[in-house]
Amino acid sequence: MTQLEEETPQLEAAFTLNGDAQVTSVRVDETLLEALRERAGITSVRGTCGIGVCGTCTVLLDGRPVSSCITLAAQVNGRQVTTAEGLAGADNQLSPVQEAFVRRGAYQCSFCIPAMTLAVHAALNDPEAGRDVGTVREYLAGNLCRCGTYPQILQAVTDLVSSAPDHDKDGENTR
Amino acid sequence: MPDTVGTDFRHRDAERRVLGTLEFVLDHKVEGMVHAKAVRSPLPHARVVAVHTEDALAMPGVIAVLTGQDLTANPDIDPCFGKPRADQPVLAIDKVRYAGDPVAIVVAETEHQAWEALPYVDVEYDELPYVVDAVQAARPGAPVVHDDRPDNNVATWRLRHGDCDSAMAKADRVYSDTYYSPPASHVPMEPMVCVAQWSEGQLEVWTSAQAPHAVRQGLEKVFGLPAGHARVHTLNVGGGYGAKGQVKIEPMVGFASLAVGRPVRMELSRDEVFQTIGKHATTVELTTGVMNDGTFVARRMHVNYNAGAYAVTSVVGAGQGLTRANGPYAIPNVAIDTVATYTNTVPCGPFRGAMTSQLAFAYESQIDDIARDLQMDPLALRRKNLLRETDVYPTGETLHDLHYDELLDDLAAAIDWTAPPAPAEPGRARGKGLGIIIKNTLTPSRSEAVVRLEADGTLRIFSSSVEMGQGANPTLAQIAADRLGVPVDRVALGFPDTAVTPFDTTTSSSRTTFSMGAAISSAAEDLQARLTALADELHGLGGMQLNHDDGQVTPAGRPEVRIAWTDLLEKAGLTELEGHGVFQTDYGITLMDPLDVKGPVSVHWHQGAAAAEVEVDLETGKVDVLRMHASCYAGRVVSPLRVEQQNQGCAVFGLGPTLFEELHYQDGTLSNPNLSDYMIPSIVDVPATITSTALESDDPQAELHGVGEMALPAVSPAVSNAIFAATGARITTLPLTPERVLQAIEEASTARGRTELGAQR
Repeated sequence: MTQLEEETPQLEAAFTLNGDAQVTSVRVDETLLEALRERAGITSVRGTCGIGVCGTCTVLLDGRPVSSCITLAAQVNGRQVTTAEGLAGADNQLSPVQEAFVRRGAYQCSFCIPAMTLAVHAALNDPEAGRDVGTVREYLAGNLCRCGTYPQILQAVTDLVSSAPDHDKDGENTR
Repeated sequence: MPDTVGTDFRHRDAERRVLGTLEFVLDHKVEGMVHAKAVRSPLPHARVVAVHTEDALAMPGVIAVLTGQDLTANPDIDPCFGKPRADQPVLAIDKVRYAGDPVAIVVAETEHQAWEALPYVDVEYDELPYVVDAVQAARPGAPVVHDDRPDNNVATWRLRHGDCDSAMAKADRVYSDTYYSPPASHVPMEPMVCVAQWSEGQLEVWTSAQAPHAVRQGLEKVFGLPAGHARVHTLNVGGGYGAKGQVKIEPMVGFASLAVGRPVRMELSRDEVFQTIGKHATTVELTTGVMNDGTFVARRMHVNYNAGAYAVTSVVGAGQGLTRANGPYAIPNVAIDTVATYTNTVPCGPFRGAMTSQLAFAYESQIDDIARDLQMDPLALRRKNLLRETDVYPTGETLHDLHYDELLDDLAAAIDWTAPPAPAEPGRARGKGLGIIIKNTLTPSRSEAVVRLEADGTLRIFSSSVEMGQGANPTLAQIAADRLGVPVDRVALGFPDTAVTPFDTTTSSSRTTFSMGAAISSAAEDLQARLTALADELHGLGGMQLNHDDGQVTPAGRPEVRIAWTDLLEKAGLTELEGHGVFQTDYGITLMDPLDVKGPVSVHWHQGAAAAEVEVDLETGKVDVLRMHASCYAGRVVSPLRVEQQNQGCAVFGLGPTLFEELHYQDGTLSNPNLSDYMIPSIVDVPATITSTALESDDPQAELHGVGEMALPAVSPAVSNAIFAATGARITTLPLTPERVLQAIEEASTARGRTELGAQR
């Protein structure tokens, strides 16, 4: 019996993770967070609150941010899941959002930061949202950082909104 | 070689931090590892009559269910931990003392299976009367939390300076107020998580903790191991703020691993993190005697820290509070008493700005009331009473290196103090407020470091200081590079492993940059001395003055002769060469009579400040913080970015307990142990303007001061004073919720009405 195979009924989950097809058997009550961490070996997605309010487990589902701790793995069949690892290009080439965070030193303990970059990415690529700091700030209201790195995160966001839209280069895996 | 200190050398692992590939203990896995979950008491105080484990043992995947009886059945185990008072059992032995106290451990093949089996552990309790409030707990007849402490007293500390009673009697005016700060929670985003395994009688753990050697010593004591037979690794820690400063879940996990003979992992769920450690609820009674010109002549304080069910750090913590309670003022007659009191609530420990925020909320609020009463400017009243160079503090020590005048200048400039706030919309009011604080740093304490030169020229630092986002690693690397005179790129620094990184008391109390910085500097000097001796011996440079620069030895006046350190190693047939350094203070309150604290209590004094501008909605009581400024004295700034992040982080973090953070107890049980009902500041709570200053000394050799929590205790009073300036409403209970603000506004306006009515008569 492997780590997660138990007597609980299993379902098949087939989805795309960072551009790669995943087919895996999951428990009916298994969260996407658990499946990503324990089955797919993704470390950038992290559980903190367990109830979908803190944002550290954020992933992009078809480009939109969701809390993977309150999303069942079986619910993402046929959909595209993107994590911070997928935001980066081949050989961990940083995306513009990730680069802006590094440049501004927008991290302290860094536990919440990968999820934060996904939320920024989603905000900047939301065709219905204004591409301005205020909009991105509202988008980030559900991503908590206890160290209080928000001022540097806002600096990174300011850099990004004042540069040209980067849908093409930054949105590859999430469209 | 350009000075490295003063530049923004970044985390070498910055990209991995952003990508999410930097390893946390949360990610750490060990071959063959199984999973543990704790069964916790739902009751605040009860005898444990029986623990029935059969049903849980029959659940799928369950390997063992361990209880307090299993713990006491092992003669090698000392079942209680805690320093200096070992009062906290690894698992409840005969009774539970708070709702959340661990009663049993379920170990299963998977975490999910352990979780599923938890409700099948059937615990029979016999309920006891409980007490939540520390003031009630300190009264005769209150329920007794620990039988050997019938008065629920954890610690009592006393400080006397001058003659408080007679000075108070002679004061023109006496102000007496009581302030209350509620319990709060640290909320590190990474929960407490630990992996433990035994091998040949030795215990190895990976844990998200701030004090690896304290955890090692704690484990050695519990399991009866010789020094060094427990080994503790910490990786990058996902936030601490004091929550991870002492032994926490490691004994439970070590015990589970010992019992099942396999590696065991335990990760706390969020409600368990709330139930593991909190911030002391505190009642501060403050009386200040003042002359009509504003001179403070006497101060009397009584502080009651609610320690919760176990002492954790409250014995010493209440003593630290004692030395900080006076505030940064020169008051000739002072009488301060602090106590810590057991209650049936979550155990408490240091909370960023430890023991000080509750005190500063009191003394910095009252000073603005006094200023209003004397019709003085609050800043001018502070300046009139400031502690200055060579003033004698109530501990009897003469203080040096004080910078409060400059801090006040800085606040005034940052918040445009003399200008009235911009007019607010009708129905709203604006005001400005400020606060300043004094805080000692953990004394006595000890930091050891090793600097190792390796054959390829790498300079590897061995330090047990924990990187938890504050930037300890790049900051210490900068200090090492600066002292060694090499580019910082040559310096390598990993994470603590008590088998290889030497002793350090703890990564807290804003002590790392100073204490570990000093130990590393001393290790660097030792290494250079050894290299000098090698150069002397191998190159016959006897008697010449030798200098070190850029990894080379150069005789004074002979710049053309440059001998690389690595060549010295090679020529001597060495693969490496180490320098060792220790920084230690051997005085402080833990070595004094708690009832007669006298003498130096801190190696130096931390000085912090904050200013706020707020807008209050007079109809709803909601407070918008428009501007925050955080300031501290840093001695010398190692990294401008990181100091700014610490100051701004203090401002943001501090706004939580100021405006909305509070743990609620209902029927003795935490009713909001989750991030929906216990909210912490989000990005939309960040004031539109948030600024930071780090004051530096003119002296290029000035001592480095830690900056991790300096501005934080000043945040609550700065905001509260701004509300007071805007509305005349004085709130003496945190947090400053709309309900409290509204009520205080109504009370203030009623009081004004009465005064005006009186004047008409």
